[in-house]
This record gives sequence, structure tokens and C-alpha cells, in this order.
Amino acid sequence: MLASILQNVINALQWGSFYALIALGYTLVYGVLTLINFAHGDIFMVGAYIAFFVASFALTTLGLPGWAALALTIPATMVLTSLVGVTLERIAYRPLRRKGAHRLYVVITALMAGLILENGNLAILGASRKAFPPLIHETVYTIGGVSFTNLKIAVIISAFLVFAFLHWVVTRTRVGMAMRAISYDKFAVPLMGIPMDNIIVVTFVLGSAFAGLAGILFAMSYPVLEPYMGALIGWKAFIAAVVGGIGDIRGAFIGGFLLGAVEIMVVAFFPSTFRDLIGFTVLLVILTFKPTGLFGVAKTTKI
Amino acid sequence: MLLSVENLEVKYGNIQALHGISFDVREGEIVTLIGANGAGKTTSLYSIARLAPPEAPKVVGGDIRFMGESILDTAPSDVVKNLKLALVPEGRHIFGNLTVMENLELATYSRDKDADLDKDYQRIFDLFPRLAERRKQRSESLSGGEQQMLAVGRALMTGCRALMLDEPSMGLAPVLKYELFRTLKKLNKEGMTLLLVEQNAKLALDIAHRGYVLDTGTIAASGTSEELAGNPEVRKAYLGG
Ligand SMILES: Nc1ncnc2c1ncn2[C@@H]1O[C@H](COP(=O)(O)OP(=O)(O)OP(=O)(O)O)[C@@H](O)[C@H]1O
Ligand SMILES: [Mg+2]
Repeated sequence: MLASILQNVINALQWGSFYALIALGYTLVYGVLTLINFAHGDIFMVGAYIAFFVASFALTTLGLPGWAALALTIPATMVLTSLVGVTLERIAYRPLRRKGAHRLYVVITALMAGLILENGNLAILGASRKAFPPLIHETVYTIGGVSFTNLKIAVIISAFLVFAFLHWVVTRTRVGMAMRAISYDKFAVPLMGIPMDNIIVVTFVLGSAFAGLAGILFAMSYPVLEPYMGALIGWKAFIAAVVGGIGDIRGAFIGGFLLGAVEIMVVAFFPSTFRDLIGFTVLLVILTFKPTGLFGVAKTTKI
Repeated sequence: MLLSVENLEVKYGNIQALHGISFDVREGEIVTLIGANGAGKTTSLYSIARLAPPEAPKVVGGDIRFMGESILDTAPSDVVKNLKLALVPEGRHIFGNLTVMENLELATYSRDKDADLDKDYQRIFDLFPRLAERRKQRSESLSGGEQQMLAVGRALMTGCRALMLDEPSMGLAPVLKYELFRTLKKLNKEGMTLLLVEQNAKLALDIAHRGYVLDTGTIAASGTSEELAGNPEVRKAYLGG
């Protein structure tokens, strides 16, 4: 009994880690720009593909051993994915912001940008799935009837490290302070001598880099890539961020794990086809009781 | 001339708010802009601060020069960073989700690495001891007057040499009002140039060297503070007879 509870906890943490990592990016961008960046799930997909190409290049062309290929893939993917995020901001969102476009148009633009990423991928790489090459040897450990792998533990630890890092950035650094300031009162930020666009770029760099990291980890855990892999998981991560209280990084983090836990629990007790139905219902109930999300404060501050 | 505004015309969308106004500010001066509600005072300061639409207006004619150079293409953050010209906006706009200290710290964002910040914090806390007592407090929990002090202190922390203030006395109790104006006078004695927008014309003319009277987007009168205070029309319209 205890073993099966622990087993589910580990599974929930691992599964929730992906939602948490992606939800953090949604919430950062929302906190700073009040923009729901619906392309974010597809940034995650792009990250997984970038990881695929970098890893394949490192393994075959460079002939590196798996661990070295991984050590190269992680930073390279994070950097390249953040470039994709920054480019998206530059060519899609910034011009609209300059023109003072209504939020609705920006959200529609985000949705379209996501579709363009999906279909661009489809057009360029074709519909066939890609098999992600194994980079590390997955070892299964079993302690007292609870089994887990080194990869699962690495996923969970990564999510916690990323959260700790972002929390530090937001609360302790000057850039983080500027991010919080923008979320409260955009108007006054340039009056402090702060170039707002730079802060926005940092926000997209952070969000996209960690979506890229999620992409690598996901591809290693479930090594089949396809262009739409970011769509559903992106939506779910977005919902996790809202349930946590969008704009607050603690909310995104907790929301991600909550969704992971709900899904794992549903699968433990019901047929797996019930997963999304029950999962979304639980989230809906939470929002009915707390519309601003678990950590949300009714319209004062974000991040 | 530190700042000169030349035939400035600005619009909010299609609505023209300033119809070719000109005024200037010399280094070391206190210059005041007075005028009724909607005259264009805030609009003038937003234009000089180079804030962008939609909140701020768009310059459609004329020029704004700082030390002789046009600043129409300068980004708002560079007005603060490079020109060292700061604005205390109407309605304070402090960052309520940050502490008092964080608000001050944020204002140092673009300052030189070797600036003596400790000395500047000390100066702010000497000017406004209340802020020192509340430095760890979330600033949205400050009283209105304290928030105004923070707005001024924050602008000073940018390391500015010239400061524009938009109705800094708004909502302050009379005692605090006089205290603030004494502080402004003191800052000016220490070399700070001030461009002061005030509804309270008497208070403004008391400390200013010169002033301009704005009326629906045009300059209706200008002169030294004594001249304006002695002008019968100005007395009638803004000084209560
Ligand atoms: N965002 C805006 N959009 C459209 N018109 C505006 C906007 N802000 C100001 N105006 C108009 O521009 C004119 C000048 O306004 P401004 O705010 O500069 O006046 P003010 O002198 O600062 O007045 P007050 O003493 O009330 O602060 C007014 O006619 C006002 O209606
Ligand atoms: Mg005004």
C-alpha cells in the first residue's frame, strides 16, 4: 500500500515536472506582458526537435559518447530554443505592442504563431515521427517495491532547480525586480531608465530556454517526436498555470504538479481514457471555487 | 539652455492637445507650468520624457531640444539614463508590489557601476526620514503622502540632474505640502534643475524663478514669478483674485 502510494507520488512528480517547466514560461510572459503566449507549447515542441538534431549531430557526426552528447545538447538546445522565443517576440508580438494593439489581437497572433510552428515543422520535416536517440543508459532502481529510473529522478530534480533559479531571479535580481515592476505598472518602468524591451527579451529567453529543457527531457523520456506533440501538453500546462494563479511562478509550479498528480491518480484508479476528462473536471472545480487560481491575487500583481 | 521646447504640437490620436507651444528651462532654474485642468501640462511633460502612445501623445510638429540637440528620437529610458532628466509622473505610479527599498533600487537600474549609491540612499532618507522607517514595507501600503515622497525619492535615485514634477502636492496635507516644497527648494539650491507642474499656482510661484501659463494647449502668459504673480489676469484665474 505504502509502496504503491510512493510509486504514484514519484510518477506524479515526474509527469508534473513537464507541466511545471512549461507552465513557468506561460506565467512569466503573462506576468510581464499580460499576454497568454499560446505558441509556448509549440516552443516546447521546437525545443524537442532542436534537441533531436543537436543530439543526432553530436552522436553521429561528432561521434561523441552519450553523456558528452547530452552535455552538449542541453545548453545548445536551451540557447537555440530561447532564440526561437525571442524571434517570435520580435517579429510577432513587438510590432503589435508598438501599435498599441488590443490584447485580443495579440492572443490571436500567438495562436497563429503556434500553428505556424506546427505546420512549418510538418512542411519541412514531413509527417513521419522522429525517434529520439538514447543519450544515457536508463537504469531502473527498485527500493522496497518502489521503482524509479535515473532519468525520472533527473527530470524531477531539473524542475525543482529551474523553479529555484527562477524564484531567485524574480525576487533577488534587478532584472527580476523590473519584471515585477512591469507587471504592476508598465507605464512607469521607462521612467526608471529601464529599457522595457530588454526586460521583455529576458522574459522570453527564460521561458523559452526552460521550454527547451522540458523538450529535451520529454524527448529522452518518451523518445517519439511529432509536430503536434506540444499542442495538448501546452494547453494543459497553460491550464496548470491558470489553476495555480497565472502570473505567479509558485502558482505555475504547484499547478503543474497538481495536474500531474491528478492525471496519475486518475490512471491509477480508472481506465486511462478517463484521464483528461477527470483531470480537466478537477481543475474546473478548483477554478469555480478560486477563479484567480491557487496563488492568484485578484488583479494586483503578477509574477 | 538645458531644455527648450519649440513650437511643439502634439496629438492624442486625432485630438490635438498642444498647439505649438514654446518654453525653455536653464540649468539651475526652477520653472513652473501652471494652468487649468486639461490645459496640457501633463501632456507637455510626457512629450519631454518621450513616453510613447497610447498613454502619451505623439509629437506632430516642432522640436524638443536638450542642450541644443533634438531628443525626438530618444527612447524614454535614455532620457533618464543619458540625459539625466527624470519625471515624477502625475498620480505617482510607484510600484506597489515592491518594497520601498526595491522601488529606490530599481531606479538605479541604468546608473554607472561606480556611482556612489549608498550616499544617494542616505540623501533620500535624510530628505524623507519616513521612507527610511518604512523601507522594508510593500509600497502599496504607504499613505498617499508617503507614496508621493517615494515617487520623488525614486526619481532622484536615477541620478538625475534635472527633474520634472507633475503635481507633486496632489493629495498632500498642507504641512506635508510645504515640507515637500521646502525640499524641492533645497534640491534646487544643491544644483538640481526643476520643471514643476502645479495646480497650486501660489505655491509654485513661491519657489519658482520663472513660469509659463498654459491655456488649452497654448502659452497664455510667461515671465518671472514676480511678474506672473503681479499679472492681474493670472491673479484672477489662478491665484484667487
Ligand atoms: N490619453 C489621452 N487621450 C486623449 N486625449 C487626452 C489624453 N490625455 C489627455 N488628453 C487631452 O489632452 C488635453 C491636455 O491634457 P493634460 O492631461 O495634458 O492636461 P493637464 O494640464 O495636465 O490637466 P490636469 O491639471 O487636469 O492634470 C486635454 O484636453 C485632455 O482631454
Ligand atoms: Mg495633468
